[in-house]
Amino acid sequence: MHIVASGITDVGLKREGNEDSFSSEDALGLYVVADGMGGHLAGEVASRISVELINKCYRKWVEEGVSADEIYGEPDNSLTLQGNYILGSIRFANRVIYEMAVENKKYHGMGTTVVILLVTQDVIIAANVGDSRIYLVRDGVIEGLSKDHTIVAEQVEMGMMTKEEAETSPLKHILTRNLGSAETVEPDIFEIEPSNNDRFILCTDGLTDLVRDEEILAMANNEKEPESLCRRLIDKVLKRGAHDNTTIISVFIMDMKGHEDGSFKKIGQFFADFFIGFHKILKKLIP
Amino acid sequence: MARLILMFNKQVLKEYPIMKESITIGRNKDNIINIDNLAVSGYHARIDKAGSDFILTDLQSTNGTFINDKKITSHKLSHGDNIIIGKHVLLFVATEKGKVEKSPEQLDMDKTMMLNTAKQKELLSKQEQPISTVKPVEKIGVISFIDGSGLGEIELTKKLTKIGKADTSEIKLSGMLMAPTSATISKRPNGYTISFTGGMTKLKVNNKVVKDNVQLNDFDTIELGAYKFQFFQKDVNTQA
Repeated sequence: MHIVASGITDVGLKREGNEDSFSSEDALGLYVVADGMGGHLAGEVASRISVELINKCYRKWVEEGVSADEIYGEPDNSLTLQGNYILGSIRFANRVIYEMAVENKKYHGMGTTVVILLVTQDVIIAANVGDSRIYLVRDGVIEGLSKDHTIVAEQVEMGMMTKEEAETSPLKHILTRNLGSAETVEPDIFEIEPSNNDRFILCTDGLTDLVRDEEILAMANNEKEPESLCRRLIDKVLKRGAHDNTTIISVFIMDMKGHEDGSFKKIGQFFADFFIGFHKILKKLIP
Repeated sequence: MARLILMFNKQVLKEYPIMKESITIGRNKDNIINIDNLAVSGYHARIDKAGSDFILTDLQSTNGTFINDKKITSHKLSHGDNIIIGKHVLLFVATEKGKVEKSPEQLDMDKTMMLNTAKQKELLSKQEQPISTVKPVEKIGVISFIDGSGLGEIELTKKLTKIGKADTSEIKLSGMLMAPTSATISKRPNGYTISFTGGMTKLKVNNKVVKDNVQLNDFDTIELGAYKFQFFQKDVNTQA
């Protein structure tokens, strides 16, 4: 399996500073994007610290091969070991940012969203807190692998609001969860199997405020490299006014074995079908 | 139309469009916004429409009415104001075009914000009995074997369930042509998805061969080689 990734961040046309941070660690298959909030430089600090700590924790736990019981907080049995590493690293980053915000006046009220993608041979893990997102483009279809933690998204989920209403709601940017505002935080984590030619897009709301899912899909289908995809997405954002900072990482999976439809496999499948059909008939005849 | 959003401990309880010239908020049932909580007075506060503005007035309530932490007797509402009544928060949203005036001190709705959870925590800690909070029902996927293999029902307790011959599979199926991992079922934001991952054994959902992945709906029939099972979702009893 071959992973190609590229990341880009842009301050945009309206904001003075960039409060977004990101990291791209091909060796670990770990990609992180964070969108900070809070006055002065606090937002920048929160997003940068979250990215650094998540990388540090995850790397340390992988290298030491710790068990799920040794992560920060209670392990989640519905997740793989790597999923638990990601969970623990988010909890840990949250705690540090929270303590800093409480103890240091200039960091009061700081927080950050975070979205993480982990790509390994066996599993893809997507985790998020806040309204930064991960998209998966597979077989020409776009799918969200994150859940927005906003008032409107929760209302949509409960059937109190339509998706269309949510998009134009003035409450769109009010988060119900982030890193730094409470002692504990629970991220949403999803695990899926990797598949050849999977394309992932991690982004802050700078992108999703201005570019629709279908447009992201069209560009992801057309571009051959993650770098050009990032560039084209950012260009679109800038063309539309770029009222916020925008950060995008795109990750492409290539040359994955075991998913091609070779002729040997086709013959094999034919025999397999024949064998199973035969087996079924036998079962019927001899109860 | 301007709206008020009633929230309690981060959860949105209800949304009220301001349809009338005057609306009252209080514990008594005849209030338009009825908050059944002892911290709220019978008739706690009132909002009156005055031209294009909305004026909030405290009706000499026992515990007071607050706007963004400040106690008020009367207040002209601005977009994004948090009206705090007892342990509840009413968020005022002015959505009519051109009516959203922003002073530098006010909220910039373009900017991502976090609900002030510290405040809500503080409020919650004083609350003896939290009132019913609306929460989406958590569901769990189940597969039920209908092939006579005697495997019965299996709950999908993992985010990613591997199905195949390998010992590490969550659902272990035998068969000469079964791959170590033949298919996977993953729980995603939009529900459960089944994916074919390889091997000689065909995956079929509702009699159609699946080569990549397909989203599962309740009572879909899945075939994996000689195995046949049905998928459905059931509500999880989350222990509080």
